[in-house]
Amino acid sequence: MTKILVVDDEIDVCDFVRSFFEERNFQVFTALNGSEGLRIFKREKPHIVLLDVRMKEMDGIETLRKMKGVNKKAKVIMVTAIEDQDKMDTARKIGALEYITKPLVLENLESIVMSYAKEGKNA
Amino acid sequence: MHRDLIKNKIDHKGWFKIQQWMLDKLTDTEGALIPMGAENVQKWPKAEKDYQVFLENASRLMIRFKKPEHLIKMIVNIIDEQLGITHTAVLLYKEDKNAFILIDSKGEGGTKIPVGFIRMTFENPLIKMFDERKNYVLSENGVLVSEEIAALLKNKESLEKHKDLAGLIELVLRQMDILKANMCIPLYYKKGLIGILVLGDKISKQKFTRQEIGFFMTLANDASMAIANAQLIQSLQERIEEIKELYNKEHRVFMHTAIALATAIDARDPYTHGHTERVTGYCLAAASELEGIPEALAYKNFKETLHISALLHDVGKIGIPDAILSKKTRLTKKEYVKIKEHPAIGAAILTPIKELGSVAREIRYHQERYDGKGYPEGLKGGQIPLIARIIAVCDAFDAITTNRSYRHRQMTDAAIQEIQASSGTQFDPIVVSAFLLAYEKGKILNSNKK
Repeated sequence: MTKILVVDDEIDVCDFVRSFFEERNFQVFTALNGSEGLRIFKREKPHIVLLDVRMKEMDGIETLRKMKGVNKKAKVIMVTAIEDQDKMDTARKIGALEYITKPLVLENLESIVMSYAKEGKNA
Repeated sequence: MHRDLIKNKIDHKGWFKIQQWMLDKLTDTEGALIPMGAENVQKWPKAEKDYQVFLENASRLMIRFKKPEHLIKMIVNIIDEQLGITHTAVLLYKEDKNAFILIDSKGEGGTKIPVGFIRMTFENPLIKMFDERKNYVLSENGVLVSEEIAALLKNKESLEKHKDLAGLIELVLRQMDILKANMCIPLYYKKGLIGILVLGDKISKQKFTRQEIGFFMTLANDASMAIANAQLIQSLQERIEEIKELYNKEHRVFMHTAIALATAIDARDPYTHGHTERVTGYCLAAASELEGIPEALAYKNFKETLHISALLHDVGKIGIPDAILSKKTRLTKKEYVKIKEHPAIGAAILTPIKELGSVAREIRYHQERYDGKGYPEGLKGGQIPLIARIIAVCDAFDAITTNRSYRHRQMTDAAIQEIQASSGTQFDPIVVSAFLLAYEKGKILNSNKK
């Protein structure tokens, strides 16, 4: 089963995305902040991480940097608000695969995650 | 108390109160609703009446919301609190994003779609179906119910009837599955789709009855009207703000042009340097003591007309030769006649500018005297417009207190006495008393005094 980790400080987002991907046969882990996300990341070694950019304390960029420090090959997809587009260059440089802009089209989220999930299985 | 609440104008701060009131109203014994699929089926007729009450209350309140978002929050809230449905959400079309955005949602964790998290473009099958009105092919009332669509897909015979739609129907069902929607109701206004009401399952797991679907359709219709109304008000308000800003900008440019022109006039006469600026200041100070009087109120915009008139009162001096204007010795009779032309020249310069029609008149008469001995026409008392009468006093005061080519500066107090002495002859007594009042309050400041 493909493991996906969702890091977002909004509990509604975590719950919704969890239920969304569980229905698509993923094993879903959620974290409400960067440090919790990092802990789960180290423990569970998820195939894919969905990482919110705007979070209190440790933001998405910082979390991404730390995850990449733990595992250079980590597959991280950033989820961002339109206002944070400038941060995406930084995220790409650190090694984020992709970013999705909120409000997002659910099919996009699904197809992006699915394509990386497949890739992960082949590897 | 409830009636008072309705009567009062409700602004966006008040919406929460209204919502609370509505919830109270709906949960009290009179207006309470039985959650959908309540076990006691015998109670349905009563419930039907209650839905009527619910709808009446809801539509009456809806039209009072000025912000579409607040209105939607109220609708979502009352559905969620009253009707026993797993989750409720409303998507609304946003022009700037050219997509449908989830405005509010309520319900059980995991089923509830997070606010602001998703958007649906016109490519979305559900939006496409509603936007192109294909939903009416599938259901008479345009409401999409997932079980009905699923049943349709299983029925080869009816699927044959909608051959061209089969692909889209499948995608719509998938879409409803993604949203965990049992029922999707389009919100139309005039010809366009403005939003979608998304409803989950009944907590009782029962099917929605025809009656309930009808209820939601009515609610959706009323909501569409109210949302469109609120959107219209909002866009009008934005437009008004834009126009206001545009006007302010233009107005600033205009005032600065007037000031520049006034400065140019002043520059020609070194002995009266700063004259226009001072006179304008005195005029505004004196006028603030006259603001409420009927003659001032008769002006379309008293303060502004006064401001511009004061700035431009000497614009006619452009037509007077330098030799006369800056002459240090006493003027000859002929030269004095020439000088006296400046109010008429000023008015003639400004008359072609339609917007400055009233200003031209004030400038023409600022050298008239209250007793009729002034120029150019020898108008008397109330025949002279008020602003011209104010400029006359302030102009004279500055002439007395400033070193002019033909007069030495006097002490300010002596100048005040001189003005007072001419009250009722040269000057309008009402304007003089307003001027003195302003002087006593320290508002008449002679910046030229050394």
